[in-house]
Amino acid sequence: MDLQRLKPHFPWITLLVLVVFVGITDPNFLKPANLLSLAGDIVPLFIMALGLTFAIYIGGIDLSAQSMANMITVVASVYLASLGLWVAALCVVLGFGLGLLSGFITTRLFVPSFISTLAVGGVCFSVAQWLSGNRALNMDAEQRNALFGWMIGRTGIIPNELFIAAALLAICLFIERRTTLGRALKAVGAGELAAAASGLNVTRYKMLAFAISGALAAIAGLLFSVKLSGGAPTIANGFLLPAIVAVLVGGTPLTGGVGGVLNTAIGTLIVAVIRASMLYFGVQATQQQMVFGLVLIVAIALTIDRSKLRTVK
Amino acid sequence: MQRILSRENVIRWAPLLVLVGLIILFTAINPAFFSQRNFARIAIAAAPALMVAIGVTFIIVMGSIDLSMEGTVGLTAVLFCFAFLATGGTLAAGAWVAVPLILVLGAIIGLVNGLVHVKLRIPSFMASLAIGFVGTGAAVLITGGDIVKINDDTFRALLTWRIAGFPLMVYVVAVLALLAWFIQSHTILGRNFYAVGGGEELAHASGLNVRRVRILGFVLAGVFYAVAGILQVAKLGQAESVSGANFMFISITSVVVGGVALWGGIGGIWNTVVGVLIVNVINNGMVVIGLPDYLQDGMLGLLVIVAVVLSTDRRSVSFVK
Repeated sequence: MDLQRLKPHFPWITLLVLVVFVGITDPNFLKPANLLSLAGDIVPLFIMALGLTFAIYIGGIDLSAQSMANMITVVASVYLASLGLWVAALCVVLGFGLGLLSGFITTRLFVPSFISTLAVGGVCFSVAQWLSGNRALNMDAEQRNALFGWMIGRTGIIPNELFIAAALLAICLFIERRTTLGRALKAVGAGELAAAASGLNVTRYKMLAFAISGALAAIAGLLFSVKLSGGAPTIANGFLLPAIVAVLVGGTPLTGGVGGVLNTAIGTLIVAVIRASMLYFGVQATQQQMVFGLVLIVAIALTIDRSKLRTVK
Repeated sequence: MQRILSRENVIRWAPLLVLVGLIILFTAINPAFFSQRNFARIAIAAAPALMVAIGVTFIIVMGSIDLSMEGTVGLTAVLFCFAFLATGGTLAAGAWVAVPLILVLGAIIGLVNGLVHVKLRIPSFMASLAIGFVGTGAAVLITGGDIVKINDDTFRALLTWRIAGFPLMVYVVAVLALLAWFIQSHTILGRNFYAVGGGEELAHASGLNVRRVRILGFVLAGVFYAVAGILQVAKLGQAESVSGANFMFISITSVVVGGVALWGGIGGIWNTVVGVLIVNVINNGMVVIGLPDYLQDGMLGLLVIVAVVLSTDRRSVSFVK
């Protein structure tokens, strides 16, 4: 057994080891109810990571995901009263559109994606501050429960968020495995120049990847605001780092081309278990960022495909 | 005419013209903008930002990027306060020791950054982003979320002691900018940054130790971030884990708007100085002419895209990630 053949299996082995490890330290952890609520809590993060997977899969990055989710919490809170259920459509369209804009700036204007998405993130932040007047907003509880209550309830002992997550995962998996778009994204991620040379409309597919990332970040924001019954311009801060970590520890490297949304599902669970175990070991929430920063470095170093980088800039 | 309007000339002079244009525009709308008091206000706001921007300029000239500044500035600012208080609490009582101590710390953080980037062969934007997260996390850990205050009149003189209307820290920053220019133009290391940024493989082929230059670049940047951390404390009289917040966006925007090309080799310290002034004049001017301040991040976002687009030679770039 050589290391290269084992490499694709690292993510789920890591997950298993972590679960067993925490389970031994604290048997309560392994109770189904606990595991399910743990998984339910991580869903907004998972949806954001799901979107990021598309941006990273093509070798780019989307640093606007967090600002996007922030903005959407505000948009959802402000327009819930007037638009009702349509506010969900507005959020998704907004996310898709702004993601498309990031993609356009990256591909047509030759601005590296980490700058273009950072800039679009700045625009999102401005919009969020403007719409909210820099205050924390609350949704009308009755209306929220009537329209979006199904998102956050429970069916039996299973949190409803998990069904949303499963549905989105299924859609993304379908896009990735069974559509032209998915195959094209794989080609772009594996070798952009070769993809372009074989006649693929690389620009269009890359723009779509960023648009999907934006749309999913928006859905993450929407779910988050429903959960908290409100929104604010900085409410989702702290999402970006674990979301990137989830994609990378899942096995989609920064260089793109391999991995995918299923990997991100496993990666998100790893993040969830790391988080939970830190609580058990008495690491406070405020210190988690440090741990995730270190995990991020290790994850990148292990997954990145160095043969693709002629020079590491 | 053709020669005057050449690409190089436009890139070289456009930022300065934009700066002058902005000053004229804001003055025309509200004459109060063009006053010594307001200029001092802009200079104070720009001082720590300029140090951060100069630090990252060295990195961008090499064609890399450093996104660790928020964490580094936050951590150095917090630790500076602790070191300052631990060594006496006033400059006279020996707390000046904290200054070199924190500069060394900045260098060490930069060294870690460079080592992770070069030795583990991780792209710099991600390596530095992760280190930045670790830095912010460490700052939270150390302060426990609290604010650390410094009440030393001698140290606060950096802000309160004014010469010709401008506080001392503005002069300190001016001297350090000159020093940075000297490093860039008159030292081997400075020239090597341009060699790496202009063509890494060529530099390597001519026998340059590219990896060493890269690491040293990050060390140098770390020292400048530490200066920014100290100035931030001087400005506010306190430090907390979010002392470095927003520096990432502002400094990268400033450097790029000033005309330093993102893929390296083009531009330098003076571009950055102009860029930082443009960004701060916009931020200040928008308030002075009565525009709401929430527009700032959006404006800067659009500005940075325009700047990158204008400075890109589209014939020489095949694709970007």
